[in-house]
Amino acid sequence: MIAETLSTARLTLRKPLAGDVPAYTAYCMSDRAGFVGGPFTEAQAFEKYCAMAGHWALRGYGRYVMVHNGAPIGHVGPLGIDAGQPEMTWTLWDGAAEGKGLATEAATAVWDHLRAQDWPEMIIRILPDNAASIAIARRIGATQTDEAAPAWYEGALTFRLRREVPA
Amino acid sequence: MTPPTLRTQRLILRAPGPQDIGPFAAFYESEASNFVGGPQSPADTWRYLAQVIGHWTMRGFGRWMVTRHDDDTAIGLVGLHYPMNWPEPEVGWYIWDGNGKGYASEAGRAAREYAYDTLGWTTVISMIAPGNDASVRVAEAMGAVREADWCLPGREPIMVYRHPGPEAVS
Repeated sequence: MIAETLSTARLTLRKPLAGDVPAYTAYCMSDRAGFVGGPFTEAQAFEKYCAMAGHWALRGYGRYVMVHNGAPIGHVGPLGIDAGQPEMTWTLWDGAAEGKGLATEAATAVWDHLRAQDWPEMIIRILPDNAASIAIARRIGATQTDEAAPAWYEGALTFRLRREVPA
Repeated sequence: MTPPTLRTQRLILRAPGPQDIGPFAAFYESEASNFVGGPQSPADTWRYLAQVIGHWTMRGFGRWMVTRHDDDTAIGLVGLHYPMNWPEPEVGWYIWDGNGKGYASEAGRAAREYAYDTLGWTTVISMIAPGNDASVRVAEAMGAVREADWCLPGREPIMVYRHPGPEAVS
């Protein structure tokens, strides 16, 4: 059973809620969303956030919202875009939250939880110019592979998180 | 929030879930989805179903899967819908199995009643794509009257039908 809420030293991780929409929309409409196919319009942002919440009901798992000092600052966790291997994702909505290790802290907590639920492996896809995100992938123990990017994320690098480290 | 279950004479309106992806994706692959954003791939419909479910969380209301009493297979999607670029919340319907039996208006009335009686709305519209004559007939059967079109930049104008208020339909 995947937990709907997780806690770390500085963060609460919980499912998306209506009160997050303004902060998420601001992120979606900013250049920061350029790494994931954006920026998007306000209407698109709302649809995407609805889908992020509804993903939980369809898959039994989904992305958590990182809450720091009472405010939603990003999302983190598994995305099951199809029946294949879930992808591990993380995003800080505002540059002001960067550089404090919060995304690393959140992603570590989620992966620890999923590993404890016997998830063997996750895939991570990151565009090559997203240096901050690549650094996080390495910090949480992911290793880069030479797998090709999917059609919907052209040029992305592939990393894998594995529960068992190969000998 | 968890969507409540509504029951009409012939139909059940219940929360959408993973069991609905098959019939929903089949509908959205067909030409019949022309007036409601289709056709589209099963992957896109999966994402859209997630969106339909998450709308309940974000708005506190949303759309239901419609089934017959004796069979849990979804035959349509009906309910309350409020995207960011709509002028106001709407009651919408599409039935993909069992057209011509009055299911859309039967489920549509239940959703409208829920909006008025449970949510306390004082008015509700329906947004209908031009050419969707079947849907216009449903709106008219429910007593809705056409108003000025709603225009989104770069898109065809959408017809707006306003329903009779709570007093008129109670």
